[in-house]
Amino acid sequence: MSKQLTFKSASEMPMISVSLGDMEWNKTGAWRTQRPFYEDKTPPCSAACPAGNDIVAFIQKIAKEDFEGAWNIIKEENPFPGVCGRVCFHPCESKCNRGPFDEPIAIHALERFVADFGSCLSRKTGKAGEKRKEKVAIIGSGPAGMSCAFHLARLHYDVTVFESFSLAGGMLRMGIPSYRLPKDILNREISDIEALGVEIRTGVSLGEDLRLEDLKDYQAVFISTGAHRSRGLRIPGEKEKGVLSGLDLLKKINLSKRVKLGDKIAVIGGGNTAMDVARSVIRLGKKATILYRRSREEMPAFEDEILEALEEGVKIRYLVNPIRVGQKDGLKRLECLRMELSEKDESGRRRPVPIPNSNLFIDSDHVVIAAGEEIEASFLPEGLEKKEGIILTRRDGSAGIKGVFAGGDLTSNQRTVAHAIGSGKKAAMAIDCFFKGKDGEEVIIQHLIGEGPSLSIFGYLHPGERLRNSHVVTFEELNMDYFEPAKRQGESKSAVKERIKGFKEVSSTLSEGVALDEAERCFSCGTCNECENCYVFCPDGSILKREELFPHQVDYDYCKGCGICFTECPRGAISLQGEAK
Amino acid sequence: MKRVITGNQAVAYGVILSRVDVISAYPITPQTTIVEELSELIASGRLKTRFLKVESEHSAMAALIGASTGGVRTFTATSSHGLAYMHEMLHWASGARLPIVLVNVNRALGAPWNIWGDQSDSLSQRDTGWIQLYCENNQEVLDTIVQAYRIAERVKLPVMVVLDAFVLSHTSEPVEVPSMEEVDSFLPPFCPDYPIDTQEPRAYSVITTPEYFLEFRYKVQKAMEEVPEVSKKVDDEFRSRFGRGYGAIERYGKEEAEVVLVTSGTVTSTSRMVIRKLNEEGWSVAGLKIKRFRPFPSEEIYRAIKGAKKLAVIDRNLSAGVGGIFAQELRAALYPKEERLPVFGFVSGLGGRDITPELIEEAIQYTVEHPRPEEEILWLGLKK
Repeated sequence: MSKQLTFKSASEMPMISVSLGDMEWNKTGAWRTQRPFYEDKTPPCSAACPAGNDIVAFIQKIAKEDFEGAWNIIKEENPFPGVCGRVCFHPCESKCNRGPFDEPIAIHALERFVADFGSCLSRKTGKAGEKRKEKVAIIGSGPAGMSCAFHLARLHYDVTVFESFSLAGGMLRMGIPSYRLPKDILNREISDIEALGVEIRTGVSLGEDLRLEDLKDYQAVFISTGAHRSRGLRIPGEKEKGVLSGLDLLKKINLSKRVKLGDKIAVIGGGNTAMDVARSVIRLGKKATILYRRSREEMPAFEDEILEALEEGVKIRYLVNPIRVGQKDGLKRLECLRMELSEKDESGRRRPVPIPNSNLFIDSDHVVIAAGEEIEASFLPEGLEKKEGIILTRRDGSAGIKGVFAGGDLTSNQRTVAHAIGSGKKAAMAIDCFFKGKDGEEVIIQHLIGEGPSLSIFGYLHPGERLRNSHVVTFEELNMDYFEPAKRQGESKSAVKERIKGFKEVSSTLSEGVALDEAERCFSCGTCNECENCYVFCPDGSILKREELFPHQVDYDYCKGCGICFTECPRGAISLQGEAK
Repeated sequence: MKRVITGNQAVAYGVILSRVDVISAYPITPQTTIVEELSELIASGRLKTRFLKVESEHSAMAALIGASTGGVRTFTATSSHGLAYMHEMLHWASGARLPIVLVNVNRALGAPWNIWGDQSDSLSQRDTGWIQLYCENNQEVLDTIVQAYRIAERVKLPVMVVLDAFVLSHTSEPVEVPSMEEVDSFLPPFCPDYPIDTQEPRAYSVITTPEYFLEFRYKVQKAMEEVPEVSKKVDDEFRSRFGRGYGAIERYGKEEAEVVLVTSGTVTSTSRMVIRKLNEEGWSVAGLKIKRFRPFPSEEIYRAIKGAKKLAVIDRNLSAGVGGIFAQELRAALYPKEERLPVFGFVSGLGGRDITPELIEEAIQYTVEHPRPEEEILWLGLKK
């Protein structure tokens, strides 16, 4: 420790006031009335991710060219980065704080980049070691079931997945055309889960081949059988030959690609299934017309899907509602009414009402109904409560029978892959709590990301690591002085004339250079990425670089609490609180 | 080599010959042609000096404070409001002991607007800790700049070289311009005491508590007290090399005169003519030119006026409420002495009005005819 220099006479003093020693003896920290401290907060992307991906953490790994590190971070929460990077509706990007600045980060494209890069690695997903004695049965091998299986296997449980179909994957395999999700990507991610020791028994249907009583060897059951039944239109003629369900047609196309269809296909519905059907039909060399009873604005399908469908030659007729399926000259003849929009309904969309005497006829070889899916409850065990078309579960996914949990499309109207993955993870945590005698609901509340419902299993498995305050960082809390506008770098798409030739994937994985550029754009909201602004700006040299819990620490012996580090932190990763008096 | 050049060009020659490293300035009449001349030379590549463009005189001085701390030779020029705008930085430069040389072309301060010469601008800065040297002609201007760097870098105080607006700044006279080699052998490169060194980082001019502040000001005063001896040595050496010298003061005219007329700047040249004429007519009058205003050359003056009975001072400036500033300083300098001569304080020529031979003669005549001044301020040429 240095000492304060003192001078007894003017002749001892230097000519000017200039430092001759250091000031370490002067512990200016005693002057402090407010204390800055490093505290990571929750970025809006993670809080918005139904699968609970730690998005900022993996993007920052990409930015540092640590692709394997990024892969490991994603795999902590989500076994399906290759799937999600392609088909997720990416609510993370809608909430990205970069949005109000220029354009959101192409998070899905980065996730896909990491997933596809990861496939080149010798992946470290080997068996999870010694298994615990408890066995868990999972019914349904869709994203919910496989996510649950993945996390339970990592928790060392003995997991068996029962699948009614001959191949695992559920809706990922049957509902999503391979131009959006190539089968080899899906197979790769499922076999990664199997590599953890998960057994998948295909060709076993709940109800027909398997009843709950047959699963006595399993101390817990997770039911994730999805929503596969096409919702009908309840109009005359819809049961006739030549009228198909959208999901059934997609299954056939996805599994064989050799489907006999006439030349003109009418697709009824405005959701993603309708888009998938129409775009698949186009790829089979046929003509597809979508009939939707509201306008473009109300269409529930994702915007990109609609745009790509139109690019590929799908016709969409808005404000028409079929009222009867008839026949004429060997063709199906759809009788429709023109609609107009009136007041908003309970979904917030304007309600379509028929215009009297506006009947029109549309002829086609086939009519495909893609007006939504519902769950098939008939084979479900007794004791599960059904309400408004879904199975009711508690917050931890438990479903009314001891040891029985449920998730995925079966238990939610938010029928997305990401929600299903999140619900499978939640059930895995709840089942672990169930076996260990912990309060699953309490544990889940503790590990919500931000305000939830996104959930982190990393926090559950690694208490004390990568801690974050649940506060979700807002745009206003960031310091825009440190960011330059930069164009969003998304995936490129192949030319339309190439796309419609077959089922080859439409978009391509980012190149390494583009991925690095895009990762550079990330604000890293609420998450210190060692930009060292605090270190540069601290007027007292009180930022210490230490490789401990945080990259940096404040030297409270000298920090005066001026708050400059807090103000100049570009990403809100420093907090300021009053000193205890 | 002899050249016919203006006072402002003489400044520029002095700066070039002194091998200044950094110039920073902001234009203001009547100074502008100094930095115009220099910046054109720099822009054409003929002068290897850094010219820092700034948005104000305050910034110009601040920039030089930085450059000078960095250990290079610096220069600026200004006038009037520009000098006033620099005021706080002038204190800083002297407190930080930086040997900056500034040329101030004397100009009145508004209001009302006026671009012509008087000394109210430079004399307003008398308490900023700068050495002040007033010049009588263009040759003296050039020579004083070269000397100023020697003095400044020896005592570590900034120097203000002052010349009259238009009468010198824009008027051409023959000037002997020494060669670069001659000046080089007279003026060695600047070596700072506390250079900026990244290997040995320092904080400069940091907050200094009451415990030590007084001592730093004491050291400034001690440095000022060295100036008479240092500047005399510098002037003597200059004289031996170049054949010209100026002293802190210069007495001329009749020896053992009863009345001594004190002036500064170009009024001195007019006074020389008047006094020569009056001496020829038998008047007992002599002249005293004050070149160095800070530190005030009390001892030199006292010696120079020995035997005189009265002092007349023509001030081209006014400290309202007191009078002419040179007169004031003279009275203060004489007060401790046994012979406290009456000081006749004339104020004239403000805002650039000519101080004609007739006015000077009128002042001398009044002084001769009156045992003591009838008023504290004797206005010369005032339209009553």
